[in-house]
Amino acid sequence: MKVKAKPLQEVSKGGDRQLIDLKRDDLMPLPHISDGSEDPAIRPLTEKQQDNYEHALDGAAAVQIPKPKTREEEERLVERFLEGVKKLLTKENNWTFLQQLLLTLDNCVRCQTCSEACPIYLASGKQEIYRPTYRAEILRRLVNRYLKKGGKAFATLRGNDVELNWATVARLAESAYRCTMCRRCAMHCPMGSDNGLIAHELRKLFSEEMGIAAKELHETGTMQQLRVGASTGISPAAFKDILEFMEDDIEEKIGRRIKIPIDKKGADILLIHNSGEYLSWLENPAAFAIIFDAAGVSWTLSSELYGYEGTNYGLWYDDVQFGRISLKHIEIANKLKVRKIMIGECGHSTKASVIISDRILTGDANIPRESCLPLLEAIVLGGKLKLDPDRNTFPVTLHDPCNMVRLMGIIEPQRRILRAIAPKFREMEPHGPDNYCCGGGSGFAVMQGMNFPDWKMNVAGRMKVKQIMEAFSDTVGDPSIPKYVCAPCSNCKGQLRDLLNHYHLTEQFGIYYGGLVELIVNAMVDTKKPYVNFEEM
Amino acid sequence: MGGMVLVLFYGSILFCIITSVGRLIKIARLPLHLKWEFYRDSSVYEQVDWWTKPPVRFWRKAGAMILDVLFLREYFRRNRSFWIYLYLFHVGIYLLILWHAWLFIAGAVVDPDTVSAVGLVWGHTATALAFLGGAGILIKRITDTELSIYYPPVHYIKWVILLLTLLGGFYAVYIYFGDNAVNLFRYVQTQVTFSDLRHKLHPPPATAAHVLFAAFWLVYLPYSHIMRLFLRYYHYLRDDEVPNVRGGAMEKRIGRLLGQPVAWSASHIQTGKSWAEVATTLPPMGKNKPKECG
Repeated sequence: MKVKAKPLQEVSKGGDRQLIDLKRDDLMPLPHISDGSEDPAIRPLTEKQQDNYEHALDGAAAVQIPKPKTREEEERLVERFLEGVKKLLTKENNWTFLQQLLLTLDNCVRCQTCSEACPIYLASGKQEIYRPTYRAEILRRLVNRYLKKGGKAFATLRGNDVELNWATVARLAESAYRCTMCRRCAMHCPMGSDNGLIAHELRKLFSEEMGIAAKELHETGTMQQLRVGASTGISPAAFKDILEFMEDDIEEKIGRRIKIPIDKKGADILLIHNSGEYLSWLENPAAFAIIFDAAGVSWTLSSELYGYEGTNYGLWYDDVQFGRISLKHIEIANKLKVRKIMIGECGHSTKASVIISDRILTGDANIPRESCLPLLEAIVLGGKLKLDPDRNTFPVTLHDPCNMVRLMGIIEPQRRILRAIAPKFREMEPHGPDNYCCGGGSGFAVMQGMNFPDWKMNVAGRMKVKQIMEAFSDTVGDPSIPKYVCAPCSNCKGQLRDLLNHYHLTEQFGIYYGGLVELIVNAMVDTKKPYVNFEEM
Repeated sequence: MGGMVLVLFYGSILFCIITSVGRLIKIARLPLHLKWEFYRDSSVYEQVDWWTKPPVRFWRKAGAMILDVLFLREYFRRNRSFWIYLYLFHVGIYLLILWHAWLFIAGAVVDPDTVSAVGLVWGHTATALAFLGGAGILIKRITDTELSIYYPPVHYIKWVILLLTLLGGFYAVYIYFGDNAVNLFRYVQTQVTFSDLRHKLHPPPATAAHVLFAAFWLVYLPYSHIMRLFLRYYHYLRDDEVPNVRGGAMEKRIGRLLGQPVAWSASHIQTGKSWAEVATTLPPMGKNKPKECG
């Protein structure tokens, strides 16, 4: 791989000029799929969009930052950026992540061990701007040059040689949205640096200081959630309607009606799903209801404002928004007097609730929270359901959601379940904590603006497509054999849905996707019809 | 000139101690952070009611840390070609540190005429390993694009000085002291026991040069990766995997942090309030206020 002589210094040069012009031929090849060509991997923005929005990193506009109209406006924004960096480095404003941020800024020895760990860098054909250390090194050099005493002395010799101007800031803002925060690089770093955290911290300073964030995460994400109850826009009244429909649907599928517990005070478990499940994959919360009902679990859903939406996009860009949503979940749980909160099949919601919230909760707010996977394992392996694995005779592979597996250490329960109910289960390689992100992490699954989906499909999700094709290599030539990618995470499913469509994996290779609980219900002997119906998928 | 060497050497020791302590205190006082670990193996979260299960023990974390530091395990797993040189270098440096400790302690308490020449073999082996590793790293840093791409030029100078320091040490022992353990120990004895002030004020050029190099590294030490590793492992050992239980010490620390004032400027954050106040207040939403459940 030939690298430009001074790739870091380029970030501040050339204003509107894209740093790379990525062609399909540049990308990592895929097995059984031929999509290489001289065509751009990211379709150019329209002329009007190019005039109005920043896109000088790689041509994509994930954040859709309006271009400043005047030089003065540019200078003001640069000043605010620098002010934000200063705040990132103070314990008053950033106690939440200061320690790890300093560790990452100080500890990197530029060994680039992390580069080979990054699916985006590899899938892009090793483009320098996607190297995990790229944005971190730029931030490090800006901090050293502009915020440390004597930072400009012997700047070239000391490597403090990145200029701060609007071009740098705009490209950094976009660059913060070219990392899925899967933190595979952090796990591979021998020095404890965390380049995924740098993307997080940059997003945070842009949001919390400058009010700049991806629309889908802020305006139609956390703000909408705090306004109407869910990032999907589902209101409490609409939620109740959906549950009624879900009860009908369950009756039709399994031949008996289940009364879904809603707002049941004193239940053992408050189950919170990602509300996207209710809109796009209703069979998933329905499967939970069937399993919990059959296993005799004491549980409830909440129809209160904020109580039926597990997503917490603040996790990816804004600590304050994260805290607000997290505390709303706690309020609901305390009101219902449940023993614990359980998060359904959603990786980021699980991590946000169980792990990240842990250190903002005190006193009565510190109510126990856990993933659904351990309980599902106890139900399946504990013999509480009558299961016939031969109902799942199709090949199944497992996608490991980064948030649950690498970032929470929930590695085995889902595997033990699949080994018990899916005879043709096979692992992707690599898997477990060493898995690759689906490419929809850190909010990308819901980010659909302008030409960003091109980048998301062609670059971010490319490694996952490769893994899926390799996992099914024995049957991939026969599309009549249905193949199931089990993804126990809503955002991963959203990304897989888009990847399967983009690469025509269902039509050409018979590859489908879905959650874990659907496979469990499909194996239940007392359901009339197959719960996993490939013709309807 | 000799006096200057003396002042620089003892001054550098003093500087190293004072600056290191200052930096260690600063690192130790960094605030608790949100949980942000990652896991190479199964965690307690795989269990139903995980909060009732025992958390990871301190000694398990300490054991992992010791293995990482001693064997550079992550480099071995992920970047083998770099690890070879790093490992040689680190083993050499560890042995040299032990050798110097032995030299100074034994120099003070042992009769120089009874010292075994095996000690010199130890020193030379350690120097050779460190030099081989260091030179390998330097060459790899220069020739491998992956390693040179973001490496600031000043760090090459650091490696060159380090190699010169090793060569200087070897020269002093092998050439100046004639590779004679007795001569070396006699010299060290006069130094550590302050028994010959004239000799101390007017050191021979070979040892003066080595002492000056040592002074350079002592000044650099508080800013080196050793100090940064302390940042990494201190908080890892203290806080990682430590659960926040009601009424516990962790909860008290969190309570203090939630009281920190927030000064971020974006419109959805109420600047000036405490973190807890901001997190429990909805952002301004204009006409679009939350619709309660109806």
